[in-house]
Amino acid sequence: MVPLPYVLGLAAMLFSLGLYGVLTQRNAVRILMSIELMLNSVNLNLVGFSRYLEPDRPSGQLFAIFVMTVAAAEVAVALAIILVIANRRDDIDIDKINLLKW
Amino acid sequence: MSLDLLAFIVLGLITLIAGYLVVASANLMHAALFMGLSFVGVAGIYVVLGAEFLAAAQILIYVGAITTLIVFGIMLSNLQDLKAGERGVWARLVRNLVSFRRGVVPLVAAGGFAILMLAIYARTAWPAAAALPAESSLATVGRLLFSEYVVPFEIASVLLLVALLGAVALSRRDDRAQAQSGTPAGTMPAAGRKEGR
Repeated sequence: MVPLPYVLGLAAMLFSLGLYGVLTQRNAVRILMSIELMLNSVNLNLVGFSRYLEPDRPSGQLFAIFVMTVAAAEVAVALAIILVIANRRDDIDIDKINLLKW
Repeated sequence: MSLDLLAFIVLGLITLIAGYLVVASANLMHAALFMGLSFVGVAGIYVVLGAEFLAAAQILIYVGAITTLIVFGIMLSNLQDLKAGERGVWARLVRNLVSFRRGVVPLVAAGGFAILMLAIYARTAWPAAAALPAESSLATVGRLLFSEYVVPFEIASVLLLVALLGAVALSRRDDRAQAQSGTPAGTMPAAGRKEGR
């Protein structure tokens, strides 16, 4: 049986990888991918806690399902925005995107 | 070493290495595919933890939908990665170490978070794993989803519909409005350039 701190430690390392990506990258698509990594690590935490603390009533799995739903919606909208920006200008450097309307 | 633990360690290593390559690989398309591999590793860990439905949903939604969507987004927008000269996370790290915003702060934030959480996890007395109930988790998840959590479930479906409409409305090209306002495409320098593709 896998001890719970292993699961939580893996989730923490995955989260900090995503955090490092979000803070250092300038490409909007790559920042989006790093955010997905962070959401995945949060799901791992939820599933781990629900498996070890409340195995009869897996509420954590349900929360993870809702997180997945919100992540799917977020990716759809974010990619639409990124496509619009990429069509209006040639790059998606988030340091250079400083206007609300073109 | 039990088989569970072995599977967990292998899958965790796959997840972590693929996650590192999402941040570090020089090619944007490779990063997207490594993200898919990382999602597959997380799905395997869900199986180890006894959450089979979640593993299937992870494969369907994350690997099947989100990775594909991002790959399509990269191909449709014909994006290149920024700063092709800065290859590799270590070269970037060394080069940016002097810079406050991209060097020191992310390193301290991410590394400090991981070290802090691992130290806390190592010192806490965790309960041992209870045995899984005889009923499969899929049946319990289904019953909970349609009894206690039915309102969030319905709200999530509305959220998906709104996101679908929003994505379509955002990415639709507004040709009619442009034709009515009478501005030829050439006068809008950035927008007009892409029309020729």
